Amino acid sequence: MARSQVAPPEDPALRERFEREVLPLLPNLYGAALRMTRNPQDAEDLVQETYLRAYRGFAGFQEGTNLRAWVYRILTNTFINSYRKKQREPVTVPDDDTADWYLYDKLGGSNVEASAESEVLEKIPDEDVQRALEDLPDGFRMAVLLADVEGFSYKEIAEILDVPIGTVMSRLHRGRKALQKALWETVRERGLVTD
Amino acid sequence: MSPTECEHVLKQIELYLDGELVGSLHVEIERHLGGCHPCSGHADFQRKLKEVLRSKCGCREVPAELLERVRTLLERQPDPTA
Repeated sequence: MARSQVAPPEDPALRERFEREVLPLLPNLYGAALRMTRNPQDAEDLVQETYLRAYRGFAGFQEGTNLRAWVYRILTNTFINSYRKKQREPVTVPDDDTADWYLYDKLGGSNVEASAESEVLEKIPDEDVQRALEDLPDGFRMAVLLADVEGFSYKEIAEILDVPIGTVMSRLHRGRKALQKALWETVRERGLVTD
Repeated sequence: MSPTECEHVLKQIELYLDGELVGSLHVEIERHLGGCHPCSGHADFQRKLKEVLRSKCGCREVPAELLERVRTLLERQPDPTA
């Protein structure tokens, strides 16, 4: 067998580095997977598959590039290729007619004390905020999740989702507006403000 | 503050809060927010919305079983090839 066909030697130092740097991302990856798949069982499977792919591809990871963004890209691609197809897809793409300050304006127009708008946000139950995010169509949900929950920059999100930065900005803007609209419905349904 | 200036600032708030503005534009927005109550109210609200999303949708406690599954999976793999 020609030497070039022989598998390269295994490297215990790479395993050690993977465990040291990639394993601690598990809580965040699981949280993101939950919002992507919308259910715990699929989220666990998605995370497991992500770790397997990341581990197998770890030798090809370029030193000096962004490890966290690299892992999230694997998570996102695995989700898109393996899980999205079997899930219901919301048909409504957020329209762009919603005012930029929809929720703020709505809350300001209700019987809440001045500067109490932010406190209303705190009172919305966790599961309602999670559902509002999960109900956004994929592209918009991913952008908001990666920016607001995971704290990635536009450039990183563009790399993770493999779209231009302009698309990231547009999805974020429209996704956030749609989210505000959904949160306003929740605020009203929960009676957190009186009309 | 002139309405035109406020309008300009409010259009940039999203970029500003996302940490995407650099240099003089960042300073300009920051300065305006420091002296404009209505605009800083908008900014505070938008910032709070980001915080609420992060705290309510973010990192969850990992099921012990998942951690175990991942660890077992990795143990069964050969070391990555250099």
